[in-house]
Amino acid sequence: MVDSKEGTALPRDGVWGRAYTLESGQTQFHELSHTRLWVTRLDVEWQIRAETSRPDVDPMRWAEQLTHVLPGSDVPLQRFVKPDDGNDVVFLPALAGLPTVIRPYQPLTIPAGGECIIYVGTVVWLRVCVGERRTQLTELALAEPSQTWVGRNTMEGEVCYSAPSYARLVLEAVPKRPWRAITPVTIRNRRTEPLLLERFSLPTPLLSLHTNEKGQLWTPGVTVVCETDMNSASLHVDQTLFSAAGNCSLITPPRETGSRGRLVRAFDRMFG
Amino acid sequence: MIEDFENILLQVAGAMPWMKWLSAAFLLVMGIILGSLAARSVSRMMQARASRHHTVMFRRLVFYVVVGLFAMAALREAGFSLDVLLGAAGILTVAIGFASQTSASNMISGLFLLVERPFEIGDFIEVDATIGEVIAIDMLSVKLRTADNLYVRIPNETLIKTRVINRSRFPIRRLDLTVGIAYAEDVEKVEKLLLDLAERSPACLEEPRPFVLVTSFGPSSVDLQFSFWVPKERILEGRSNMMVDIKKTLDRENIEIPFPHTSIYAGSHSAPFRVELLRPQSTAHKELPDANEDG
Repeated sequence: MVDSKEGTALPRDGVWGRAYTLESGQTQFHELSHTRLWVTRLDVEWQIRAETSRPDVDPMRWAEQLTHVLPGSDVPLQRFVKPDDGNDVVFLPALAGLPTVIRPYQPLTIPAGGECIIYVGTVVWLRVCVGERRTQLTELALAEPSQTWVGRNTMEGEVCYSAPSYARLVLEAVPKRPWRAITPVTIRNRRTEPLLLERFSLPTPLLSLHTNEKGQLWTPGVTVVCETDMNSASLHVDQTLFSAAGNCSLITPPRETGSRGRLVRAFDRMFG
Repeated sequence: MIEDFENILLQVAGAMPWMKWLSAAFLLVMGIILGSLAARSVSRMMQARASRHHTVMFRRLVFYVVVGLFAMAALREAGFSLDVLLGAAGILTVAIGFASQTSASNMISGLFLLVERPFEIGDFIEVDATIGEVIAIDMLSVKLRTADNLYVRIPNETLIKTRVINRSRFPIRRLDLTVGIAYAEDVEKVEKLLLDLAERSPACLEEPRPFVLVTSFGPSSVDLQFSFWVPKERILEGRSNMMVDIKKTLDRENIEIPFPHTSIYAGSHSAPFRVELLRPQSTAHKELPDANEDG
């Protein structure tokens, strides 16, 4: 271990997409969501150490600082040969690679003919990119995701990520954590009877990620129209961003570009 | 005499349509070369778009069709009439059928396997206590690679006749673990602990929901069945991690996992067991000779 005082600054707030330049031998330490991450640059290699814990309280801040202190050998180490001469490291967010099932803690009833906007926060994955060409070294989940099954029966369907949600209806009440992407989901109930919203599937691989001037992550809005019965709901990803998001710039394109097959499947099992 | 024989031979050789035979052989060789080329390009084209099973099936089909067509053309070129050949084939089939009953049965079973598709290449199947990954579905047999890396050849006929379990047909699987707890423990508390474990485990799916059943009052424990669903690729990890977690949690909560107890009862009609108490002095006396063996 090297003396921790040397070269160690106070923790700063981490920013998506910013290029951090590291000297040889320097380590950048990040603490965000459930993850602790150490990125070290050596002369010809990059080293990444990461561990995920399960804190009782979800932290609010993404702390980043330069350090010379490395964790013990129990934290797994990944080594990468430097892809080019660049000494920059950039952290990019990415949404889940599988659809995410949003399950409100308490089911919400939408009256017949009613409409509401639910603000859903989903935890992003972190991509570590280095060098001039921004070569991606690795991608890690910031919180260990739990999985669920969406399908008519146990034979047909697909494995999705599952995210419990408070299904907040007021934007101000949504906690703005840097690693949570906010998706405004508009649900229109065109049926003649109330709609009990117990869970619904959000097509996260089709959504792009945008960051606003406050460093918050936003995705385009999603509109779900429920016409006659639960299985015939139609889903539409908005082209423009929600106005409350402010001035946004694209940071990560969607993982999949809207293939029709995927959308139809998403419609099919919109409400599980 | 020898000259006559030579003359006859020359006449016969002269009468043989050598050119025809040569061109027939050439056609056959061409057929094999073109067939394998076509099969290879079809397989390359399909690799990205179709499953491995379909690719292999189509590759074989293309090869046989091309070679078959060229073989027919070669026979015609050599002067054989196909009608006569087909007629002869009928008689030949009966003869061959008796001689190679097993092979024929395997070949026909293989066809049924391809049509019915109970498994595909890459699936994990279980046949007669053999569990392995299907690496090839051939004309006569299916080849498996077991988890301990053995190559197992199973005749197609066996697969048609016996029960085959496909372990990777569906994307999710349920794991049933049996947990025995002591009679003195609170079953409801254990049930809650197990469900909490399932909720925290990353391999365990939220839906279909995990559940706990009391299955029996065993000889030394109350037996619970703890069932939860996992994606098929995380089955081993899911089972092992969950069992470690169950043991840790029950130990932490001081819940006893009993092992079988055996009580010996002599019965009322038989004589009681003789029980002799040893006094400490007698034990000490017993040990003395050992300690002073040499003096």
